[in-house]
Amino acid sequence: MSAHGPVFRDNPKLDPAVAGTLVKGGYAVGGLALLISVAGGFAGGEETRKQFFFSYLAAYMPFVTITVCAMFFSVLHHLVRASWSTAVRRVAENIAGNIPLMAVLFIPVLLGMHDLYHWSHHDAVEHDPILKGKSGYLSPAFFVARAVVFFVIWFAIQHFFRKNSLAQDESGDVSLTYKMRRLAPISTLLFALTISFAAFDWSMSTSPHWFSTIYGVFTFAGGMMGFFAALALGILWITGRGALTSTLTVDNFHDVGKLMWGFMVFWTYTGFSQYFLIWYGNIPEETIYYITRQNNGWMSVFILLVVGHFFAPFWILMSRHTKRSRAMLGAGAAWLLLMHYMDHYFMVMPVLHHHLHFHWLDLTTLIAVGGLFVAAWAQRTVKHNLVPVKDPQLLASMGYENAV
Amino acid sequence: MSTANYQQETVFPPPLVEGNQTFHSVTEAVCRVVEAPPSKGWLASFAMALLGLAVLGVSVGWLIWEGSGIWGLNQPVSWGFAIVNFVFWVGIGHAGTLISAILFLFRQKWRTSINRFAEAMTIFAVICALLFPTIHVGRVWLLYWALPIPNQMGMWPNFRSPLLWDVFAVSTYFTVSLLFWYTGLIPDLATLRDRAKSKVAYYAYGMFALGWRGANRHWQNYEKAYLILAGLSAPLVLSVHTIVSFDFATSVIPGWHTTIFPPYFVAGAIFSGFAMVLTLAIPARKIFKLEEFITVRHVENMNKIILVTGMMVGYAYAMEFFIAWYSGSAYESWTFINRAFGPYWWAYWIMWSCNVITPQLFWSQKIRQNMTASFILSIFVNIGMWFERFVITMSLHRDYIPSSWDYYRPTIWDVGCLIGSFGLFFTLFLLFLKFLPAIAIAEVKGVMPQADPHWEGYHADHHHSADHAHAAGEKHHG
Repeated sequence: MSAHGPVFRDNPKLDPAVAGTLVKGGYAVGGLALLISVAGGFAGGEETRKQFFFSYLAAYMPFVTITVCAMFFSVLHHLVRASWSTAVRRVAENIAGNIPLMAVLFIPVLLGMHDLYHWSHHDAVEHDPILKGKSGYLSPAFFVARAVVFFVIWFAIQHFFRKNSLAQDESGDVSLTYKMRRLAPISTLLFALTISFAAFDWSMSTSPHWFSTIYGVFTFAGGMMGFFAALALGILWITGRGALTSTLTVDNFHDVGKLMWGFMVFWTYTGFSQYFLIWYGNIPEETIYYITRQNNGWMSVFILLVVGHFFAPFWILMSRHTKRSRAMLGAGAAWLLLMHYMDHYFMVMPVLHHHLHFHWLDLTTLIAVGGLFVAAWAQRTVKHNLVPVKDPQLLASMGYENAV
Repeated sequence: MSTANYQQETVFPPPLVEGNQTFHSVTEAVCRVVEAPPSKGWLASFAMALLGLAVLGVSVGWLIWEGSGIWGLNQPVSWGFAIVNFVFWVGIGHAGTLISAILFLFRQKWRTSINRFAEAMTIFAVICALLFPTIHVGRVWLLYWALPIPNQMGMWPNFRSPLLWDVFAVSTYFTVSLLFWYTGLIPDLATLRDRAKSKVAYYAYGMFALGWRGANRHWQNYEKAYLILAGLSAPLVLSVHTIVSFDFATSVIPGWHTTIFPPYFVAGAIFSGFAMVLTLAIPARKIFKLEEFITVRHVENMNKIILVTGMMVGYAYAMEFFIAWYSGSAYESWTFINRAFGPYWWAYWIMWSCNVITPQLFWSQKIRQNMTASFILSIFVNIGMWFERFVITMSLHRDYIPSSWDYYRPTIWDVGCLIGSFGLFFTLFLLFLKFLPAIAIAEVKGVMPQADPHWEGYHADHHHSADHAHAAGEKHHG
C-alpha cells in the first residue's frame, strides 16, 4: 500500500451506449437460438425431442452452477471478512442476479423430465427393484418440490446480499456490512446443502442407478472454477470498455486468476478421487459410469477433460506472467469456460448417446442459455454502480499488490 | 485492550499483537520462556510425560518380544487400535502445515503467532503416527522391505498397495514439514544464540543458526526459501490424508469404499489438527504469559475454523448415510445402520456428538472468546476424531458371513500403546517449549504496525505514539 493510500476516482457507472450492443445482441441472439432450438427439437420425432432436452440440460448446468457459485462468492466475501475482493464483488453480485433468470430457464428441464430422467417413468420403476428402493426420493413431485426450495433459498440469499450491497452505495452505512456478515454463515450452510442436492437431482440422477458421494463437491468445484473464469472475463470486459481502469488493476486480474487456477486444481482433485476410487474398487455398479464414458468415442472427451481441464491450464496458468496478461488471462478463462461446459456435457450426454455424437442442438441450446445469461448480466451491470462505491473496504481492496 | 473493547465489531481486523509491544519487548517475552530455569509446572508435566513415554517403551518392547498377539486383534477385525491411532496422529499433524503453508499463501497474517507452535506439534504428531504402522508390521526388523531397495532376492514392494503409498506420503510430509519448521527457526535461533549466557547454549544455538547475521542477503534468501517451501507443502496438506483415506477407500468394504473419502479425511484432519493446537495453545499462552501474542482473536479464528471443518465432516457423515440408502446396495445401508444401532452404537454417537453437535456451540461469539469453553470443546473434538477413526475401522467387525462376526476388545497393551503415544508426544512438545522459541519472533515483528515504514508512529507530529516508535526504532535488533 502506498504512503497516502489509493483514492477512488473512476466513474462508477458504465456508459449505457457501450453495453447496449451486448444487452440487445445477447437477448436477440439468445432468444433466437432458443426459438430455433425449440422449433427444431419439436419439429422432428421423439429422438429429436430427447436430443433437445439433453442438449438443453448440458447447456443449462454449467450456467446455473456459475450463477449460484457467484452468489456463494458474494457470501464468502462477508463470511471471511475479506477486503481484497471488494473491488470485484459487484461483478459477482450481478452474475448472481441471474438466479431468477435461471429459475425461468429451469422450466424446460421440468417439461423434459420424462425424457431426461428414467426414474420418472412409473412403469419402469415398478419393474426395477433399485429404482423402486429410491422412489421415495426420486419421484416427480418431490423432485419439483426440491427444485422450488433450491430456487427460493438461492433467490433469498442472492437478493439479501445484493440489496444490502446496493443500499450501501447510497448510504455508505457501515452497519450494512455487519448485517451481511451476520447472515453469511447460515447462507454458506444452505448453499452447501442446496448445490449438493441440486447436483444429485439434476445431473447425477440422469444415470439413476449410479451414485457417488463426492458428486456434490465435484459439481461445486467445477462451478467455482467456472465462476472465476466468468469473473475474469467480466472484469476484463469492463476495463476493456475504459471503465474502472484505476480501480481494477493487474493485481485484481492476478488474484482472480489465482483462484480460477486453484479451483481448477480442486476440480481435478475431486474428479480424480471419484475416478480413481471407482477404478480401483472395480465394482460393476459403479464402473458402469466410466465404462460408458470411456468407450464408443467418449474416451476422446474424457482425454480432452484430463488435458484441457487440467494439464494444459495447470502449466500455462500457473505462471504469474500469464495471469497478469490481459490477453492470456482472457484466453485462459474463455478456454476454461468451454471446459466447464464440456464437463457437464460429459456428465449428462452419454446417457442419451451411447456413441459420441454431436448434434446441432448442442450448439443452439448453448447459445440460447449463454446469450440470455450474458445479456441479463450486462443489463444489470449498466444499471448500477460497477463497484460498491461506499463500501468501507473499497480503498483497501484497491491498494493490494501481489508481491513477487 | 480489554475484552469488552474487543467484542466491538470493526470493518478491519484489530491489531495482531496486543499491548504496547516494541520489537525488543517481543524478543524478551518469547525468549524469557526459554532462558528462565524450568518452572515447577513444567517439571511436573515433563515427569508425567516421561512416565507416559515409559509406558510406551514397555508396551512396544513387549509387543516386539512377544508379537502382535498381545493386542486385541481378531478375525475379522485385523486392524485395531494401531490403524486408529495412526490416522488420529496423522490427522493432528495437518494443522501445522495448513497454518504454515496454506494460510501463508493466502496472506493470512494472523497465522504468525501460532505457526511455530503448530509446526512443532505437526512434527511430533507425525512421529507418533509413524510409530504405529511400524510396530503393526509384526517383524519390525524387516520394515525396510517396504522401501524399494534393490536386492538379490528380486523382492520389490507392491506399488499398487495404498499402504506402500502411505510410506512415501507420510515420510515426504515429515521431511518437508521438518525443513519448513527449521527454515523458519533459523532467524530465531540466531536471536537465542546472540542472547546466550552459557558457552553450551551459544554453540548449540549457533550451530543450528547456520551463521545467520540478519544481513539483507540472508533475509532475501530466507524469504524465497520460505515461499518455495510453502508452495511445496500446500499440496502435501491435501495429499497425505488423501492417501491415508485410500487405505480404506480403495477396498470394496461397505462403509469404506466411497468417493467422498479423500476430501472428507482432509477436512477431518484439519479439524482435529486445529483442535489439538487449541488444546496446547490455551494453557501455554496462560502459563508462559503469551496472551498478548496468542490473543483472543487467534483463539476465536481457530474456533471458527473448527466450526467450519466440523460441519464439513458432518456433511460427509450425512452424505455417506444418504448415499448408502440411495445406492440401493443392501450391504452399504446395513453397514451404516449397524454403525448407528449395532454393538458399537456408542462409538458412533460419541463421534457425532463430539465432532458435529458440540462444536455448534461455537456459533456463539461469547463461547468462541471464552478460553475455558474453547479448551473443553477442543478436548471434545480430539476425543470425537479418535472415535471417528475407530468407527470406520470397526466396520470390519461384522463382515459378509455372520458366522465370522466378532467383537473387538482392546487389551491393556493396546491401551498402553495409545497412552504411551501421548507420552511421546508430550515429551517432545515440552522439550520444544523449553529449548526453542514457541512463537516465531521474527515473523511476529513483521506483522506489527512498526514493521510498516510509513507507520504513523514514526511521524513526530503523532506524539501519542512517538515515544513508543522511538523505542522500537532504537531497539530494532532486539
